[in-house]
Amino acid sequence: MSVDLEKILRPVDSPMAPYEPKYMVLASGEVAVVRQVSRDEIPDLLKHVEPLIHVERDYYDVVASRVYAELLGHYQYRFQDQYVLAVQIDGELAAIVNGRQVTPKLGLSLHTLALRRGLRIGAHAFAAKMEYHIDGLGHDEVLIVAESPIGFRRWMIEYKLEKRFDIPHELGGVPSWALTRELFDRARANLVVGRRPVPPELLEKAMEKILPPSDPPTPAMDPLAATRSKYDPTATALVEQRWEMEGRSSDA
Amino acid sequence: MAREIYAYQCRLCGEMHYPFKMVCKNCKQNDFFEFDTVPLPKKGNLLTFTRVYNLPAQYEVATLGLGIVELENGMRMLGQIDIDEPKAGMAVVGSVEIVREETYDHYYGMVFRKA
Amino acid sequence: MRDVYVAGIGITTFTRLEYPLVEIASYASMMALKDAGITEVDHVYVANMGAPRVNHQTALASAVVDSLSLMPAGAAAIENGPASGGSAIKAGFEAIASGMHDVVLVAGVERMREVNNLEATDFVATLTHPIAEYIYGVTLPAHAAMFTRLYMEKYGVTERHLAMVGMKNQNAALNNVWAHLQQEITLEGILDSEEAMTNNPYVAEPLRFFDACPVSDGGAAVILVSKEKAKELGRPLIKISGVGQATDTHAVHERKEPTDLLAVRKAAGDAFAMAGKTPEDVDVAELHDAFTILEIAESEEVGFFPKGEGHLALERGDTALGGKIPINVGGGLKGRGHPVGATGVAQAWEIVTQLRGDGGKRQVEGAEVGFTCNFGGFGNNVVCLVFEKEA
Repeated sequence: MSVDLEKILRPVDSPMAPYEPKYMVLASGEVAVVRQVSRDEIPDLLKHVEPLIHVERDYYDVVASRVYAELLGHYQYRFQDQYVLAVQIDGELAAIVNGRQVTPKLGLSLHTLALRRGLRIGAHAFAAKMEYHIDGLGHDEVLIVAESPIGFRRWMIEYKLEKRFDIPHELGGVPSWALTRELFDRARANLVVGRRPVPPELLEKAMEKILPPSDPPTPAMDPLAATRSKYDPTATALVEQRWEMEGRSSDA
Repeated sequence: MAREIYAYQCRLCGEMHYPFKMVCKNCKQNDFFEFDTVPLPKKGNLLTFTRVYNLPAQYEVATLGLGIVELENGMRMLGQIDIDEPKAGMAVVGSVEIVREETYDHYYGMVFRKA
Repeated sequence: MRDVYVAGIGITTFTRLEYPLVEIASYASMMALKDAGITEVDHVYVANMGAPRVNHQTALASAVVDSLSLMPAGAAAIENGPASGGSAIKAGFEAIASGMHDVVLVAGVERMREVNNLEATDFVATLTHPIAEYIYGVTLPAHAAMFTRLYMEKYGVTERHLAMVGMKNQNAALNNVWAHLQQEITLEGILDSEEAMTNNPYVAEPLRFFDACPVSDGGAAVILVSKEKAKELGRPLIKISGVGQATDTHAVHERKEPTDLLAVRKAAGDAFAMAGKTPEDVDVAELHDAFTILEIAESEEVGFFPKGEGHLALERGDTALGGKIPINVGGGLKGRGHPVGATGVAQAWEIVTQLRGDGGKRQVEGAEVGFTCNFGGFGNNVVCLVFEKEA
């Protein structure tokens, strides 16, 4: 009975060509490997995404919450045709990107989550994702939205995406933008890097285990440093919270 | 009628200024607004240029070409450069067009193209 | 004119700070007050560029005085673009040198990351000429880029030289716990590898991502005192022996010689003249490297190297820690960060730290004479200071 129910609830994944891993040299001289993540590795990713749900700046909280839901849905067979790519530096997780196939000719970009800042890893990861849609999966177009203003400038303006405002994007129903094959070919030279094939030792290190990021974004230590206007415009509740942390009584 | 960008000539000593200054930088003796307006020449040579990728909030283009041009009369000015492959020393000709838009306001300035 | 000494210094981490503007200024100021061992001052100057526009706070100095409970001391905010810090120190210097005050707090603060990057770029661009420059969408990187192109054509500076300055300063910041950037970079990563164009994309050709300083929040403060007060407080005697300031045309295209930075030349010359010193006497310097080209150009204009040879000195290693004239050993603006109003004061903070011998891993051995150059506008308002350690 439960087997039949699962058959109904579980979406059937379409055939999708696997992602061909690549590697690249970063500004620091370190080497990053970009590779696809399989379903059973998802729990390893989830434990590094979860802490970011509590980082209130740069939209990390919104993006991490949504990524967590997407990855969990993918793992539990409740999300159709999703792919997940990871960027690793010496085995350490540096970024996660995901997206899905809508039709064999149309892709949909979900998220880009960077766990290591300062080396343009988010930009590299986004470009890798687009390369997978257009080159790897053969999509003619990819639908994209941005949650942060920097994302908007980097993708909508830099790539010169086309408006597809009649299509509400899954992520909150906001108007979509599209990267077409033509636009991607024009941007390819500047924005997409990476060398293939990945040398065997490098690939093995990355595939062996997803190591925890050594310097991920963390919530600010001081409650007063949180984005004040979001939760408490007068900041009094936050001051009381800090005093409580310090073991002080507010009515002395 | 084509728009102009004006230089300001001191009525006392003839020194040309672009942009406007209240006090003549040469004789410093002029009275308030004792200047004549003289349209800046539109022809010149490109002195230096750049293509800007990180633009301020008001611009929705991907990149912007800017340059400093040495005009025919020896004065220099900054303008937008609408040239695919600019080279130092290139002969250019300008026309006054919209260079910035902020909500409902339009701002006009010189846009230079290959002569 | 009386002698002026620095008796206390304080600084916050330069990074993205979620604290309100006044708190950032107060934090650095409290550190400086505690360093000097005082709780009262005669006067306060607060250096800042963006408070009214970006942080919706005018009359900043009044707010800072209140936050520090320094009433009834007089206070004023000093706005001079990126040279606000240097100007505020100059104002404090004048207050003490004239005999009007004995103890002055000079704080510099900026909280640029209260707005997003695009707004911050526009905010900084407002220092350009409103009609001849701003309306064209010119940004500071655009000005620096056009200047760089001319420098490359005239003196043979290459993208490699720029990358070398960027790398020197960003990696130097690893020795400075207060610095914004704590990430090592290599020439392979930013220039030589096939990924370099994407790792290090153009910001304004030919300047690239790692040629420009980051956008930072932060605060720094110094306590300026008279000689008697300095001796009374018993802190190391670090004197500001030379002060120079000069201006140039507002619109960059009106400069006499487009590759010259005349305001830097004059301000430095005046500062050295007042101090009775020459560029050869300087042991450690903080130059304003908002863009890597500026460190090269300023090193020539202030007199460390002949005009057009700054990049050759860089190649020789003259400007690295251990070289002939170490420049920006704490990361400079590139590595330490550039909260616009705080920078001038942070440069003084670094020099005083060096002259006190507290530089730790980045200490310049035996430093006795220090120099700072705070570059306002795009070279049209520059403040230079000479510092000396007194026995």
